[in-house]
Amino acid sequence: MPYVVTENCIRCLYMDCVSVCPVDCFRKGEAMLVIHPDACIDCGVCEPACPAQAIRRDDDRDGTRWLAFNARFAEEWPRICEKGKPPGDADDWRGRSGKSAMVFGADGP
Amino acid sequence: MSNQYVEKVLSVHHWNDTLFSFRTTRNPAFRFEAGQFAMIGLMVEGRPLLRAYSMACAPYDEELEFLSIKVQNGPLTSRLQKIVPGDEVLIGRKATGTLLHDNLVPGRNLYFLSTGTGLAPFMSLIRDPATYERFEKVVLVHGVRLVSELAYEHFIREELPADELIGEMVAAQLIYHPTVTREEYPNRGRVTELFGSDDWFASLGLPVADAAHDRVMLCGSPAMLADMKVMLEGKGFVEGSSSTPATYVVERAFVEK
Repeated sequence: MPYVVTENCIRCLYMDCVSVCPVDCFRKGEAMLVIHPDACIDCGVCEPACPAQAIRRDDDRDGTRWLAFNARFAEEWPRICEKGKPPGDADDWRGRSGKSAMVFGADGP
Repeated sequence: MSNQYVEKVLSVHHWNDTLFSFRTTRNPAFRFEAGQFAMIGLMVEGRPLLRAYSMACAPYDEELEFLSIKVQNGPLTSRLQKIVPGDEVLIGRKATGTLLHDNLVPGRNLYFLSTGTGLAPFMSLIRDPATYERFEKVVLVHGVRLVSELAYEHFIREELPADELIGEMVAAQLIYHPTVTREEYPNRGRVTELFGSDDWFASLGLPVADAAHDRVMLCGSPAMLADMKVMLEGKGFVEGSSSTPATYVVERAFVEK
């Protein structure tokens, strides 16, 4: 029952999650992070750490439909082990709706 | 660079046939805060087999200490329980966790509520001077089924108050309340029963815990965590995090999913 990264991460990429993950399960794309479901140990430390509340369990709320998305892109995107600098406009994107359609279109969850 | 340090076992202590502690060497570059855990384990068939373990030692200890259950057919613990001094163990380089002082706002009294091996992170927190600097009284509740599961009982009662660095603070501020559910023992009852009882607080000489003044850290069985969450939130406690410190924190890393 891994955790998954969902829409709120898109274009924010605060990356606080990366700092607290004990197994470096995060993978970084240009617009968001995802969690590699096989690497995640369900410790749950990342969920409260995200300032945008983008992370949840795969069986919680919209987690289910993001699981396949996380699994797919975790195979393509590189691993990230250290928190980097969030984009300068991260706070402007925080909490906005429609980000998935805007950025990923048909590739979205 | 590998993700783990390779350390050597220095000592092993079996509390009973389901519980043991072990101490290892420590790489000086490995740093952690009291209450955190890291991925610990062994090489099995050429690959690291790791599980999350809280550091039970003080953050300033030159060695590391861990508390573990023994699971009969558990892939890691069936092997880990056989370690002896000199054996190698893997210690993850990254410590993490939610049981941090920084995740709580300041308060009056601090309650550490644990069951079983959930005691481990609190063994580190009760050896951290910051715990006593931030709070007035510190109450460590350890709920177990059998008396033999009261790991560190003698250490907490007899050795810790005599510790050079923190003994005075421990003697003045730490209240240790072990409780046993299935055998005769001076303290009986489940952790949730005690925390829900005004008489229990009175027996400790403390005011009943309330969200305006007191803070709670939880580490234990799924049932205890679920029941305590309901009870605490019913009393107005709010779960804290690094971005939003509040009045209670929970460690979920060890809960069976």
